[in-house]
Amino acid sequence: MKCENKDVVIVGGGPAGLAAAVKLHQLGVRDILVVEREKQPGGILRQCIHDGFGLTRFGETLSGPEYAQRFLSQAQQLGIEIVPDTTVLQVSGDRLVTTASRDGLAQYKAGAVVLAMGCRERTRGALAIPGERPTGVFTAGVAQAYMNLYNTMVGKRVVILGSGDIGLIMARRMTLEGAQVLGVYEIQPYANGLPRNIEQCLNDYHIPLHLSHTVTEIHGNARLTGVTVSAVDERCRPIPGTEERIDCDTLILSVGLLPENELSLDAGVLLDPRTRGAVVDQYMQTSVPGIFAAGNVLHVHDVVDFVSLEAEHLAEGVARYLAEGGLPRCESCVRAGAGVGHVLPHTVSGAEDVTLSLRVRTPMKNCVLEVRQDGRTVKKMKMRKALPAEMIQVPLKAEDLQEGADLEVSVQC
Amino acid sequence: MEPQFDVLVIGGGVVGCAIARELTRTRWKVGLLEKNLDVAYEASGRNSAVLHGGFAYDPGTLKAKLCVEGNAEFDQVAEELDVPFKRTGKVLVGNTPEDMASLRRTLETGRINGARNLEIIDKERLHQLVPSVVGEFALWSPTSGIMDPFLYTVALAENAVQNGARFFFDAEVTAIRREDGIYHLTTKQGEFTSRWVINSAGLGCGKISDMLGIHGYSIRGSKGDYIILDKRVGPLLPMPVYPVPSNTHMGIHVTPTVDGNVTVGPNAEYVDDFDYYGVPATSIESLAESANTLWPCIRREDYIRNYSGILSKWVDADGTIHDFTIEMRPEAPNAVNLIGIESPGLTAALPIARYVINLIRQKADLPENPDFNPRRKGIVRFAEQSDEVKAQLIAQDPNYGELVCRCEKVTRAELLQAIHNPLGVHTMVAVKYRTRCMMGRCQGGYCQMRMAQMIEEELGLQPTDVLYNRPGSHPFTGRVREQ
Amino acid sequence: MLRTYTCIICPNGCEITAKLENGEICDIEGALCPRGKEYVTQELTDPRRNIATSVLLEGGQLPLVSVRLSGPIPKDRIFDVMNAIRPLRLKAPVHVGQVALPNVLGLGVDVLVTKEVAVL
Repeated sequence: MKCENKDVVIVGGGPAGLAAAVKLHQLGVRDILVVEREKQPGGILRQCIHDGFGLTRFGETLSGPEYAQRFLSQAQQLGIEIVPDTTVLQVSGDRLVTTASRDGLAQYKAGAVVLAMGCRERTRGALAIPGERPTGVFTAGVAQAYMNLYNTMVGKRVVILGSGDIGLIMARRMTLEGAQVLGVYEIQPYANGLPRNIEQCLNDYHIPLHLSHTVTEIHGNARLTGVTVSAVDERCRPIPGTEERIDCDTLILSVGLLPENELSLDAGVLLDPRTRGAVVDQYMQTSVPGIFAAGNVLHVHDVVDFVSLEAEHLAEGVARYLAEGGLPRCESCVRAGAGVGHVLPHTVSGAEDVTLSLRVRTPMKNCVLEVRQDGRTVKKMKMRKALPAEMIQVPLKAEDLQEGADLEVSVQC
Repeated sequence: MEPQFDVLVIGGGVVGCAIARELTRTRWKVGLLEKNLDVAYEASGRNSAVLHGGFAYDPGTLKAKLCVEGNAEFDQVAEELDVPFKRTGKVLVGNTPEDMASLRRTLETGRINGARNLEIIDKERLHQLVPSVVGEFALWSPTSGIMDPFLYTVALAENAVQNGARFFFDAEVTAIRREDGIYHLTTKQGEFTSRWVINSAGLGCGKISDMLGIHGYSIRGSKGDYIILDKRVGPLLPMPVYPVPSNTHMGIHVTPTVDGNVTVGPNAEYVDDFDYYGVPATSIESLAESANTLWPCIRREDYIRNYSGILSKWVDADGTIHDFTIEMRPEAPNAVNLIGIESPGLTAALPIARYVINLIRQKADLPENPDFNPRRKGIVRFAEQSDEVKAQLIAQDPNYGELVCRCEKVTRAELLQAIHNPLGVHTMVAVKYRTRCMMGRCQGGYCQMRMAQMIEEELGLQPTDVLYNRPGSHPFTGRVREQ
Repeated sequence: MLRTYTCIICPNGCEITAKLENGEICDIEGALCPRGKEYVTQELTDPRRNIATSVLLEGGQLPLVSVRLSGPIPKDRIFDVMNAIRPLRLKAPVHVGQVALPNVLGLGVDVLVTKEVAVL
């Protein structure tokens, strides 16, 4: 078996992996290998053909493929080695990366490993929607891939369960291609997708959004023939008597994304049960020294621009780790306080600037975000609104922080 | 007239396939008619996947005798047919003095039936065997095991085909008549003729029996629901864990699969619709609640799928469940009628097949097929090999280096073999069950598009021709842009 | 009259309340940046959207190539433009920015390729 040394092996050539590679190169790290399982790098952006990407990172609005191409072109210009059609079989705790491709198995002994595998969709099985198992039930991303990459139409009369962004995007996409989208049903009393997607994907096409509703049964034993939807109470339990049968041939599920951390677990990386991504310090280093993670494999992002920025920040940590043989210790924990679902990074040094990324638990208006350390307010921000759908970024200055004491972030009305 | 076949088997479940396979040991021309698009679509592929020890059936019954026989020979069978099998043993866990009394009775029944090495074990021993279980003592059956019922049925079918049998799918038998000593069977695929007919139709056995002129069987479907758990919990369960059995039901149990998942189930409920496999929410909750008292490791985030199966039982009006009935009757000469083949039909499939053939021998000469080859090779699974073997596989066939399914690490080479399977079955589920592609935690999120594309390319199909599992199960409605 | 809008210009998705008199905006509230007012003004007079879809590709590594418009078009012309794009065919290779159809329906915007696709 081929075995080579590499300064950095990046697992995944999607937006996180490519941004990390380019930034690492710019920081002087040259011996980089990006392992990509597809023929073409770009990850999920290859199928996200709608526009709206890049406003933060590039100051203009691009489609997904164009956004990915920006980084890919840069990587190619810089001569960064990207091996396509290659799957990582294993990453070990001592950073031995085993890959498989048509050329055979290969192993790379890496100075640092960057985990950038992205996420997968929550499926029907994980939701345990009762009923039969007809065809015509697709997760939104799968439907998107069939339509945008494989030239395959998945249905004509469509119900969407869940108001995640991909589901909203697919409501519009399928409408444009002649399907009839009957409605979007969301179990929570608020939408999970971004407000602008509610506006331009649903409202523009008069597709109704039914909050506090869910699909309670699936009908048909060959192809889907319909679904039963029901209203739910404040604890998300279906309310008897509210059942309504809808005839449809397609059910699209947009009910959440899960970081794809099987390789991370093999490597011994500790995961956060809330994000289901790695526990990281402010340099994006996981619990295993020399293994880093960024992007949707770490926590699910709302906007790809933040994936790129996070990966670029990771690259700085990796470059420093390689140059200095280690990173400053991060011993202050960052905790999610009142109103906060999760917050990253999990630990900070207290001696350097850091940006926290967080999501709130429920929608709030006119609220106050507060970061406290040792009983002292480090930062206070007023916000007109805070939505679970949106990731909130909070930059903290080193001079406001102290070493050794934990931080807590809260968002309250 | 000369009939097309010497014998036609109706039903491509594990028993029908075992009968077809055993019949290819003779020179008879063997055919099998299956109403679904693949073998093992009903009860054979939808159960607990356990090789039973034979202690749960009344002494003297066919269930007891054939189960014990099937259990004893299964190492050799699995080896010949190249199918996964683990003799894990299993425990029936009890807590109360009543449980103990019940387990002692079960043990005694098992001894009479010939089930080997049964013993009652104490709490300490139980926890050595299964540390995560909750219970005071158990009946330990070291000869019980786990297998892949789908692959086992496929292997029997493929071995039958390899030895000359012909299989026909989407061929539900809708009428049978006998003229001049020859049976004529009407199906969607046309009429089939044969000297002998074997009714191995599972849930349809009552209907076929009526068509043969043998009346009076009341066949009921007993539906059981299951939850499948993520492989993450697999290491916590080294063997099937059952509660103390009641008179009619084995009880809700947890079972490791040969692939490392865990199944939870089944409940049992008589149903009239033999075609409905939906799993109600209440079922899912009660299964988890019940099994958690036995094995408290069942968490919602580990659910990856649920499924159900329907057992075919011959039940009297007073609720009595009959033994396996395997008969030749004067109303239907040259026919073997199998009624009420339920659990332990999977374990007993080959002994049942031999029993059927011995019945036929009473009336007909069955010359031996000198060319019969009992061995069949399955698809070599990349994920299960060492790095050295993986490298060799890729060197021999680069398609082994192209991973299509990331969760189960299934390669293009395996998919190609499954798409061009010896039975000529071409549904997505056929490829899925033969390879495990789409069966991992992402449930096809990454791989199903690739699988569909390969099926289209390899078999020259349009998207609208692709079927998922049964007739009418089109996943796709067309192209986005016509070519 | 008060009307509320969800601004679609950036992911912030500001909820904007506009006070209207005789179809004119006299006051605006809720926009985090000046683009909010531009958006509301546009929505009031001539709502426009960009659209993205796919074009059949011959001889490429993918069967389709993604496209979008070089600029927004009137909202009520979206399906007309879809109908104009649907019959298009391109031959691989195609490049980002390549014009698949200039000045679609005379609306002054081009249909642009958004993906690099090599020859099969």
